[in-house]
Amino acid sequence: MGTAALLTSLFAPFFGAVVLLFVPNRQALLVRLIAAGAAGLSLLASLYVFLAYDPAQAGFQFISRFPWSEELGIAFQVGVDGIGAPLVFASAILLFAGIFISWHITDRTKEFYIFLLILAAATIGVFMSLDLFFLYFFYEMSVLPMYLLLGVWGSHTKGYLEMTDPEGLKKRDSVAFIFNFAANSKEYAAMKLTLFLSAGAVFALMGILLIYHFSPVQTFDILVLREQAKFDGPLATIIWLLVFFGFASIAPIWPLHSWSPVGHAAAPAATSMLHAGVLMKLGHFSIIRVAYEILPETTRELMPIAAILCIFSIIYGGFVAYFAKDTKYVIGYSSSSHMGYVFLGMAALDYISLTGAVIYMFAHALATGMLFAMAGWVYDQTHTRDIPSLGGLVERMPFVAGCFIIACMASIGMPGTVNFIAEIMIIVGSWEKYPLQVIVAILGIVLTMAYLFRMMRGLFYGSLTAEGVHAHDAVGVVNRLPLLLMIGCSIFFGIFPVHFYNIVRSTVEPLLNRIHHVAPLISQQNLFP
Amino acid sequence: MTFDLVLSGSDLLLLAPEIFLTVWLCVVLAIDFSIKNLDHENIAYLSVGGVIATLLNLLWFDYLGVTGTLFHDMFVLDRLAIFFKIFVLLSTVLVILSSIDYVKSFRFFRGEYYFLVMMSALGMMFMASAHDLLSVFVTLEFSTFGFYVLVAYLRDDVKSNEAGLKFFILGVFAAGLLAYGVSLVYGETGTLVFSEMAHTPGSYGLAIGFLMIFAALGFKIGAVPFHSWIPDTYHGAPTPVTAFLSIAPKGAAMAILIRMFYVALAAFKPTWVLLFVVASILSMTYGNIVAIAQKNIKRLLAYSGIAQIGNVLIGLAAGTKRGSDAILFYLLTYLFANLGAFAVVIGVGNLIKSDEIEDYNGLNRRSPFLAAAMLIFLLSLAGVPPLAGFIGKLYIFVAAIDQELYTLLAVGLINIIISMYYYLVVVKKMYINEPVDPSPIRVSIPIKTVIYVGLAGTLILGIYPRPFIEWVVAATLMFSNVTDMVAAALPHGSGG
Repeated sequence: MGTAALLTSLFAPFFGAVVLLFVPNRQALLVRLIAAGAAGLSLLASLYVFLAYDPAQAGFQFISRFPWSEELGIAFQVGVDGIGAPLVFASAILLFAGIFISWHITDRTKEFYIFLLILAAATIGVFMSLDLFFLYFFYEMSVLPMYLLLGVWGSHTKGYLEMTDPEGLKKRDSVAFIFNFAANSKEYAAMKLTLFLSAGAVFALMGILLIYHFSPVQTFDILVLREQAKFDGPLATIIWLLVFFGFASIAPIWPLHSWSPVGHAAAPAATSMLHAGVLMKLGHFSIIRVAYEILPETTRELMPIAAILCIFSIIYGGFVAYFAKDTKYVIGYSSSSHMGYVFLGMAALDYISLTGAVIYMFAHALATGMLFAMAGWVYDQTHTRDIPSLGGLVERMPFVAGCFIIACMASIGMPGTVNFIAEIMIIVGSWEKYPLQVIVAILGIVLTMAYLFRMMRGLFYGSLTAEGVHAHDAVGVVNRLPLLLMIGCSIFFGIFPVHFYNIVRSTVEPLLNRIHHVAPLISQQNLFP
Repeated sequence: MTFDLVLSGSDLLLLAPEIFLTVWLCVVLAIDFSIKNLDHENIAYLSVGGVIATLLNLLWFDYLGVTGTLFHDMFVLDRLAIFFKIFVLLSTVLVILSSIDYVKSFRFFRGEYYFLVMMSALGMMFMASAHDLLSVFVTLEFSTFGFYVLVAYLRDDVKSNEAGLKFFILGVFAAGLLAYGVSLVYGETGTLVFSEMAHTPGSYGLAIGFLMIFAALGFKIGAVPFHSWIPDTYHGAPTPVTAFLSIAPKGAAMAILIRMFYVALAAFKPTWVLLFVVASILSMTYGNIVAIAQKNIKRLLAYSGIAQIGNVLIGLAAGTKRGSDAILFYLLTYLFANLGAFAVVIGVGNLIKSDEIEDYNGLNRRSPFLAAAMLIFLLSLAGVPPLAGFIGKLYIFVAAIDQELYTLLAVGLINIIISMYYYLVVVKKMYINEPVDPSPIRVSIPIKTVIYVGLAGTLILGIYPRPFIEWVVAATLMFSNVTDMVAAALPHGSGG
């Protein structure tokens, strides 16, 4: 049953995308309903997986394996551990919410939903792959739909007008265009994102191929590799660096982050949600899955790199977010700043902090999903994302304003939301090893408050500006359901985190034991007995 | 050496596909000449029927495991030959189908077009079986002569004439090199049969001879530095001929290359690996970087083809059984994606009479089907999962890392990113830009068929490649001891 549910959560969106191919584009409602149905099925299945995961048993569960090519040592093998299960669940939540958020898209609706479903399904596929080949397969597969989602249905950032003169058009088609960092058209954002992420993926692939080549059995099977493959010396360092920086480019860690805010800003709301919510977690997840599982020794030696870089991520992202004037830039930089917390939690290699990091990925997916959903709503209603030209929207859209405040609170880490639990665990867990980073992280929280409150005030309070006069509130099930779903999950797991904590903890413990060479702990130090 | 021609019934059986196709193409030509006012479409379907019958015949041979040699080892029919014959014939079928609309624009010689296509295909079938330097020369020229005519088929078009002339002059030059190389090798070894050369000691004459032969074959597959004819010829030739030229001769020439280097020169592997490493790096990098600047879709596909051949050469540089498996698989993925992309180009070109990438603006609004098909073909060429091209590239890379060719691997991986850029530029034009003329584009049934076959191949090879991997592994079974041969022969071999 669990195995079937896991496969359903992966294949339902794919199947939905295939069915959509045969639906005429005119029947937009049917298209939306099919997409929603596929996403709903996936959501239910992933909820079942999340609840049915047995923390007492731990390890990988609901494994199914189909040989794919003996010649190359590839098998389609899926299964989740306590890290994969919540992330699959988060992806399904965001996909389901995203389908409703983009209900009003009328331009090429069918294609939009096909690409959205493929994007989400590929993301879900990464979170459950137990074969390096399929991990890469789904990873790369999730990048390409982003190109079209951004390019076709995205929006230009401010200053795009400078790019539309005849000369500018030519410039956008040239090679120099990639390296023109002043550009801010959606085509630019899409191209930059795709090339950046594919480049990262290619480095990771190099690492994966090296693992494949130097392991005693030539296989891509993670379960076999983690038992049998032993790497040391410079080879291990090279592989680790390739894998870490390859995957960290999507995470995104500090010097490799520049694609991310541009991409967030250009993307349509549902894509930003999935992108910031789960796509960025592919990076952390894949580092845990490949580097932590297969190269535990090297991870212990080299993870301080992440601890250093995460300082820059947190501070840099936070400050840029504070000064940004575009709502989506604020949320985008805030996301890349918050990803620094996950890296901190991972780098400390502590039981509590790594558990916190995993919970934080889930929590951040919901919080940032909400923020992007509502920034998208405000943009749809007012046709601007420029914070100074907005204000007083609380009069026009009280429901959205209310949800926005809750989302900001969640993002800051208010007690009562799941973000709080995650943040406190990261901070407590990494204090011993990285006190400086923890201080930075706490400053980062203050910074988060500052920019989110500033944005909240700019959008919703003050006097109503001309842009907001004709804005409408989110009414009806279609518009409210996604917001309520995400808020509900965030608060529910903030108040009842025990099962969540237990399943993450059950996986983190053996993982870190391998890294630290510790015999399994007999007495589990449960925060929540 | 005496040539006594003794052909028994069972020997003729080995030649059955070729004999059948020869008879068939004569019949097609006779019908075309004798029946006045016959629509050329009927000739096309007649030709397709014959080629498919030959194809089925070969599949039957493959199933039965028919093998054998003829004419003192000049002609060999093994599973490798059968694979490449199927490869050539499959591309011939698809090319003929996608030609039907295009041929309507010819003012004369419509029927002969199909005859020439089939004749080239016949030549390439023989190329796949060539096991002797003499037969290499004869079959190579046999297949190329058909192409000389086909490339210059648009008699009143300057570009087509230019393309034909360039192709002819450089092609004849390559043939001269080949003949000279063959004579040098014969002088050094005293034999022309590949398997008899396997244990000759290395010498400069042998090295120069094989370098010349490699140059001639490199001309056929369009590897840098023998690529200079490709862009102009591809650009000027009738588009279906370009499609044919971009696939079938490359496959047939790869068959010869694999045979020559794996059988005749196995002993000198450490030397020729370097040759392929260099050719591969140059082809990939040059093809991809120059493709970025292209404004014409046929030229873009020409340069992308140079880069793809660079990828294929990685497999030869690996020089192992797995390397040859990977080459075969990669060529299959390339067949579907490239012919599919050309079918879209032909479909669009028939209607808007242009191959400029600029005119693909907003193709998604004009024909969602064509745009989606082109998207899938280009992404497959770029190597994006879950499409065939990704599996092909991965297979090649695995073969390379088995031989620890890290530089080649790194260059290949970086080239994926470069190639992604120009494929995505086309995707951008199709999907993001708005069309100047939003009138819908309708595609005829034969071209649709080709596109569907391409899509099916691209998706099946990407999602469920297992039977195909098993097929290519079986096709190169005779090379499973190729590394042992190197080890056994190494003490003799130096230079070469």
